[in-house]
Amino acid sequence: MSANTLTERYVHEVVRRVPADQRAEIGDELRATIADALEGRGADERAVLAEMGDPIRLAARYADRPLSLVGPELYPAYVRLLTVLLSTVLPLVAVLAAALAVLDGGDAGAAIGSGVGALITVGAQMIAWPTVVFALVERSRYRDRVVRDAGSWTPDDLPPLRNRDERAVGAAASVAWNILLLGLIVWQHVATPLEHAGREAEVLDAGLWSGWIWPILAGLVALSAIELVRIAVRGWTVRLAVWTVAAEALFALPLAWVLYREAFFDPAFLAEVKVLDGFYTVTALGVLAVSANRVLQRFRAARG
Amino acid sequence: MSSEELILSQVQELRRGTVVLACLALLREPQYGYALLETLNDAGIVVEGNTLYPLLRRLEKQGLLVSEWNTEESRPRKFYRVSDEGSRVRAELVREWDDLAASMARLTKESR
Repeated sequence: MSANTLTERYVHEVVRRVPADQRAEIGDELRATIADALEGRGADERAVLAEMGDPIRLAARYADRPLSLVGPELYPAYVRLLTVLLSTVLPLVAVLAAALAVLDGGDAGAAIGSGVGALITVGAQMIAWPTVVFALVERSRYRDRVVRDAGSWTPDDLPPLRNRDERAVGAAASVAWNILLLGLIVWQHVATPLEHAGREAEVLDAGLWSGWIWPILAGLVALSAIELVRIAVRGWTVRLAVWTVAAEALFALPLAWVLYREAFFDPAFLAEVKVLDGFYTVTALGVLAVSANRVLQRFRAARG
Repeated sequence: MSSEELILSQVQELRRGTVVLACLALLREPQYGYALLETLNDAGIVVEGNTLYPLLRRLEKQGLLVSEWNTEESRPRKFYRVSDEGSRVRAELVREWDDLAASMARLTKESR
């Protein structure tokens, strides 16, 4: 059989979508049944394959995989999160971007321009990242569900009703805050809003970009992702809390270290703003305390 | 949705669960996928290949069927057969089916 028959193309389209260890077996089985159908019905290849239907659907059935990105169980939480992000956080970010453009010395046109720009780019991110996270959660849940169906459900499994939505809003706010922080850090690096000694400068020390800023940014991204997962699964689990420890460590330890070393602000910023003596030590300790407290809360919520 | 379409989709819902039982009943004798499909369709259990073949694999994974490749014929074919566990499940399902049929007969006697 030549490698480029319709059947071979069809089989290839199916097996490349199933787990690697099952490919050979499913491929052989498909080839055999298609050949049987060709022989038994005397029909042509095209009709037989058309009857087998879309290879993506068939592969999903073989792999026992959902055909939807976000299934019915997660859909309400997904929509609620997008609504909060797009209706409250996004306008805030846009207004903030416009205000910053004005502070930067821009006119009304520039303000509207950066406001609309923020609306589009930040809005796209706000849709994209929750979708990715929810789709991943959906996949892992779908696999679990096959196992879980065997177990019995009791009313004790019902999650508590009180404050549930409040907490989800809190988590959404925390995602928004992390993203805002991320945006401000990147913005002050790109836009260099300060002017010092005749040239533009950043607020934070430029040297950070060849070192400590990266784990801090990665930590912020990780913290946001964990909060998104928390919204999707409707509550903290011990595993999520453990991940929070890692993300908080990634974020807070470098930040505290940079503050402690007094390598946080750019000299241009320090030339304009006087930083009090105890500031660095107090802030470094504060960062650590806030992070530790947050980790503790997560574990308590996971147990709770 | 017209009333024919509505009936068609409800009939599909009704038939969905019957395919598993029909497979467990027919596969007392080893059989390969396509032949089983034909037998089912001839018996009035309408099922499509793209539903049946993944179902057979799933039942095998669940331990209700066992399979073996037969290479004696012109083409290698995978033959499925009910396992001991599958036989037990089949007996239980047949009992359920009889109960259900009896209940349904009682319930629908007057509305026919």
